[in-house]
Amino acid sequence: MKKIEIGHGSGGRLTRDLIQKTFLKYLSSEELKPLEDAAYINLKHHHVAMTTDSYVVRPLFFPGGNIGKLAVCGTVNDLAVSGAVPRYLSIGFILEEGFPIEHLEEILKGIAESAKQSGVHIVTGDTKVVEKNKCDGMFINTTGIGEIVKPLPLDNVSVGDMVLITGTIGDHGTAIALVRDEFTITANLLSDCAPLNDLLQPLFEIEGLKWMRDPTRGGVATVLAEVSDVTGLGVEIFEENVPVREDVRFISDMLGYDPLYLANEGKAIIIASHESANKILSILKKHPLGQNASVIGHVTSKFKGVRLRTKIGGERLLDMLEEDMLPRIC
Amino acid sequence: MDKTNDIIRLIHSLVPSDKKIRIMNVCGSHEHTIAFSGMRSLLPENLEIIPGPGCPVCVCPESDIINAIYLSKRDDVILVTYGDMLRVPTQKGSIRSEGKNFRMITSPFEALNIARSNPGTKIVFFSIGFETTTAPTAGILEMGVPDNLFILSSHRLTPTIMEILVKDAEIGIDGFIAPGHVSAIVGSNAWNVFSEKYGIPTVVAGFEADNLLLGIVEILRQLKSGKAQTGNVYKGVVKPEGNTQAQRLMEKYFEVADVNWRGIGHIPGSGLELRDEYSSRDARKVFELEEVKEAKIPGCICGTIILGKAYPSACKLFKKVCTPKTPKGPCMVSFEGACNIWYKTSSDTQNIEHR
Repeated sequence: MKKIEIGHGSGGRLTRDLIQKTFLKYLSSEELKPLEDAAYINLKHHHVAMTTDSYVVRPLFFPGGNIGKLAVCGTVNDLAVSGAVPRYLSIGFILEEGFPIEHLEEILKGIAESAKQSGVHIVTGDTKVVEKNKCDGMFINTTGIGEIVKPLPLDNVSVGDMVLITGTIGDHGTAIALVRDEFTITANLLSDCAPLNDLLQPLFEIEGLKWMRDPTRGGVATVLAEVSDVTGLGVEIFEENVPVREDVRFISDMLGYDPLYLANEGKAIIIASHESANKILSILKKHPLGQNASVIGHVTSKFKGVRLRTKIGGERLLDMLEEDMLPRIC
Repeated sequence: MDKTNDIIRLIHSLVPSDKKIRIMNVCGSHEHTIAFSGMRSLLPENLEIIPGPGCPVCVCPESDIINAIYLSKRDDVILVTYGDMLRVPTQKGSIRSEGKNFRMITSPFEALNIARSNPGTKIVFFSIGFETTTAPTAGILEMGVPDNLFILSSHRLTPTIMEILVKDAEIGIDGFIAPGHVSAIVGSNAWNVFSEKYGIPTVVAGFEADNLLLGIVEILRQLKSGKAQTGNVYKGVVKPEGNTQAQRLMEKYFEVADVNWRGIGHIPGSGLELRDEYSSRDARKVFELEEVKEAKIPGCICGTIILGKAYPSACKLFKKVCTPKTPKGPCMVSFEGACNIWYKTSSDTQNIEHR
């Protein structure tokens, strides 16, 4: 089996070979083809959104995805929830010496498929190889550029706004937990890793759309705690309305996790005016990725912080997650 | 929800306004439901639901964990135990941080399988917990364990510790919510002593919030009538006589012993050890293990919390240096530990809004 060698990161012939024979097999765009030091890209508007993220997920392959798919979806989603249409992506790879090329190709397939699905062009990239045991096989960094259609600053959020979620929560966190070595439990759980731009772009036209965020590490509770922290307002959510798959709930109970704090890689929290919430909900529900969308709460000035109204009508506070419940989940 | 509201209204009507009522739950899973459902925020201010010694991981003595660490360091041994036990801190570190050969299991049957598939290695099953986990351990012994499987028993008896609590005037318990899983084994009749001898209403409840609330109603009704009884609102699962087959097996393989409880101390007749006939399976005897004196963790009040004399939020270490990631005491480790549960649910008697 062909493997990554230190020379693949030398910048010389081996690097060129790896790029031309392996990377370009999967990642080909007009902008990338010239393999110049910088890509020439064409943006219709002058106002662009830009984001970058590094992916160090362990394991690299998990039910429902791999680090490559995650790296594209994560950055696409960061742009989409910012009210931008994702256009271009850069990808930087840090590969470990000895990493099987076959696995790299599998990951590149995931990248290519997600890029195609979300309509982004991968226009530039970088490859470095580090010695064996210096990284967990592969780290990926992606930077994305998108055209801003509807800026969504947190200042928009005000009392009376409704909080929505686009689907079931905790799917990614539990799927990753189950493939970790320590657990012997088997369940048919898939990560929800998916690009959300196609789901969210139609909402840009809705007047009452105020703010969005993809609740990755730290989950829904941590994102809402940040909303409260920045705005000084309170958020009340209703446990009954928060969609959680039965198997996710069961596994979470067993492992001692709270789905509200588990990572998601294909969900968005949306804050919208009271008047527009139902319209947004009906748009979401028409899309395959939004079928389980739900209004889960509202913004209030009665208190600060996040309060969960439980199924029996009790209340408990939701703080920010202080540390990951699982290592390297995105 | 309507039904829940009705039960809560009933609870409010049953609690006298001029008196504090303290009901203790003796099961980590009960505390879990109570905290995660925000139940305390719905109850009258003068009705306290106190977490008691319901977490098997929390009460496991430090000495047994240190012995488990020692065993896992032996080249001829693989130590197997439940996940939470791996992280419990001791003066010698935890099994995970200091141990060498150890594996996590979720049931005693996995211990049996590991022993069968590793015939050249001594497998020590560090078996902890109350009656609920003792019964399956007795079950594998009955199935016939291979020569290379040994049991490090750290089992504890629930009724015995409850009786200690009743006698402690400082705690002042008005009623017990008896543990659902333990009751399925020992039967609801096992709690008769509390109503008959001590006049304390004791009601077996399940793990759904509504069922627990019904248990509280039952206790309050008994307190109002002045007639303490053993109640059971978990009748689908718990029979008066319990699981007699499990009891027979526990009786066959284990005998009552005087043992230590972490943070509480020595309690005569409160634990279970393998009977002499099975001493060849007893890791304590086979490996000639010795008791290690328990070390005091500066600032940690887990022992006081287990006894229901303080809430987790009263501990100076709670949420500051003691977190689920960096537990200082045992109650912060386990999914069933009061501190762990209160940490995850941001529970604090100070921030519950009573209405």
